[in-house]
Amino acid sequence: MTTLTRQDLNFGQVVADILCEFLEVAIHLILYVREVYPSGIFQKRKKYNVPVQMSCHPELNQYIQDTLHCVKPLIEKNDAEKVVVVIMDKEHHPVERFVFEISQPPLLSISSDMLLSHVEQLLRAFILKISVCDAVLNNNPPGCSFTVLVHTRDAATRNMEKVQVIKDFPWIVADEQEVQMKEPRLIPLKSMTSDIVKMQLYVEERAQKT
Amino acid sequence: MDELYLDNIDEFVNDHNKIVTYKWLSLTLGVHVNTAKQMLYHYLEHKRKESSPQLHATYLVSGKLEDKGQTCHKVSVVREDQLEDFKSKMSLIVSIHVYSVHKALLKDSGPLYGVDYDAVKDNLQSCSRYSAIRCANAVPVSAVELQQVQEIQQAPSVPERTTSAVNGNAKPSSKPQRGIMGMFANKSAPKNQDNSKDVKSEPKEDSSMTEALKSKPAPKSGPMANLFGPQTTKKPDKPVKKEQEAQLPIALEPQHQSPTPEEEQQPAAVQPQKEAKTDSRSKTKRKEESDSEEEKMGKKKRRRIKRPEPDVSDEDIIPDSPSQVKISEPSPKKEPEYVQYSHVSSETKIRKRRRVLKSRNFLDEEGCIVTEKGYVSESYSETDDDFQSTKQAPRDNIKAKVTSSSKDNEKKTQKTSSASSNKGTKQASIMGFFQKK
Repeated sequence: MTTLTRQDLNFGQVVADILCEFLEVAIHLILYVREVYPSGIFQKRKKYNVPVQMSCHPELNQYIQDTLHCVKPLIEKNDAEKVVVVIMDKEHHPVERFVFEISQPPLLSISSDMLLSHVEQLLRAFILKISVCDAVLNNNPPGCSFTVLVHTRDAATRNMEKVQVIKDFPWIVADEQEVQMKEPRLIPLKSMTSDIVKMQLYVEERAQKT
Repeated sequence: MDELYLDNIDEFVNDHNKIVTYKWLSLTLGVHVNTAKQMLYHYLEHKRKESSPQLHATYLVSGKLEDKGQTCHKVSVVREDQLEDFKSKMSLIVSIHVYSVHKALLKDSGPLYGVDYDAVKDNLQSCSRYSAIRCANAVPVSAVELQQVQEIQQAPSVPERTTSAVNGNAKPSSKPQRGIMGMFANKSAPKNQDNSKDVKSEPKEDSSMTEALKSKPAPKSGPMANLFGPQTTKKPDKPVKKEQEAQLPIALEPQHQSPTPEEEQQPAAVQPQKEAKTDSRSKTKRKEESDSEEEKMGKKKRRRIKRPEPDVSDEDIIPDSPSQVKISEPSPKKEPEYVQYSHVSSETKIRKRRRVLKSRNFLDEEGCIVTEKGYVSESYSETDDDFQSTKQAPRDNIKAKVTSSSKDNEKKTQKTSSASSNKGTKQASIMGFFQKK
């Protein structure tokens, strides 16, 4: 039984890697399920031993990867409180927000060898839940776009601005319009607790979408 | 059967928003699959009568289909809206039953697999407990029988290995391939296999082989031989080799999980090993190299089992000593280090070496020293480095072994390396992949 603390950066990096990989798959899947992009650009690939839909479009993939690349250092230091995938209509008003609330316990304890396969199982359940979220959500209007917001703890963003992780990929403070949603309806999708991370996924949906 | 199951399914579908497949239901409720199928069907009917929130279902249809004059038996999972259409296309419908019930309309079949994954994984030992597919002959081997079989397999393998070492040069036709194979690929030489399998593998190997090609010893010779069968060029060697190696660890993995007699031999064969490198070329130096190679191969093989990726070049570098990283770079190295690790270098360049099997043949006649250089120089040429760098590497070697003849050999190697580099230009695009490492 090993007990690692947050200061053990290697382990923090491992957790951040796992989460960022998961978020990438989740974002692709959300784009597929909510029909933000035509399903033709998606291709079935395997993750956590189950088929998932990933996009083949290079610019889209690059955008998502760059986004998560910037988010990763925040997750490593446990500064990221929420990662939100916002789907907006043509007027850039959010219609849906997929909120991933992430928290990491300060004292990480790896209790068994089965840890990672357990985490994999939990993440698989998330993937599955996103696949069927259609049932609980209303259809989106056509012509939607998406963006990713990160809610951080304290003043972590100040550090981010100082050190631009990727050149020409600046992060800006989101304006109220994108963050607030009119008459949101909260639909919880899934939550998980494990030794290395606690995550919750819920959807905020605008009552009237069109 | 009481009506509780309807409530259960209702809870799963509506409250938990789950995808309920018949397999998942049978494992969860502990009922036979046919019962689960009927449960789902009744539930659907019940709900549809009540006209409650819309449910979607998928069906498993199996039957005969006429396709361009050929009849085939087709088994498909179809969505409900496509069901009638699909049924009309079939010439004979053998069975239809409900596959899954869920609230959401599934856009693709991916989640259907994901749903069952964890349930099956938890019940892996008894996942067919409720299944309708049975074979009376398929009985798991008991532990005692398994041990007996293992002992039998291991016992003859030891004498076989020694005899094969003696008879190494006696069978040139099949041995060359085995020798090469023994060097690179699966440690379990065919000699370790059953005689029957040997017989099978030999004709297969002979038929599917060209000089440059190697086929895996049985039991892998089956699929591998087919792989190599249509190939006559030597260039595809390397990518195919990678596939082999990739398939190797994948094939070797099952031996950890479900030890069958033949697979059990492989770990046994891996360790004592050396005999397998009976070189048909009968170069003593080659043999030594291959000995050390095989050790490294063994190590690498074990590592590959852990990480069965087709990309071997990283694995070549990472598990071995750090000096090998330098070897792969096109820079002159220290002589003793270089000479010492010449075995290792050729091993690390196993992949590349395979590519240049031809050149290896040239160098055979010229003596052992040259062969080493041959490997080195040609690996560089493969990576499409400067021709000058290839000269440097052999020169390092020469300092270690100072003979006048070696310089002649050097020129020859340079000639051969230039020849191979000309061919290498064609291969450069493929090797460029390695260069980026």
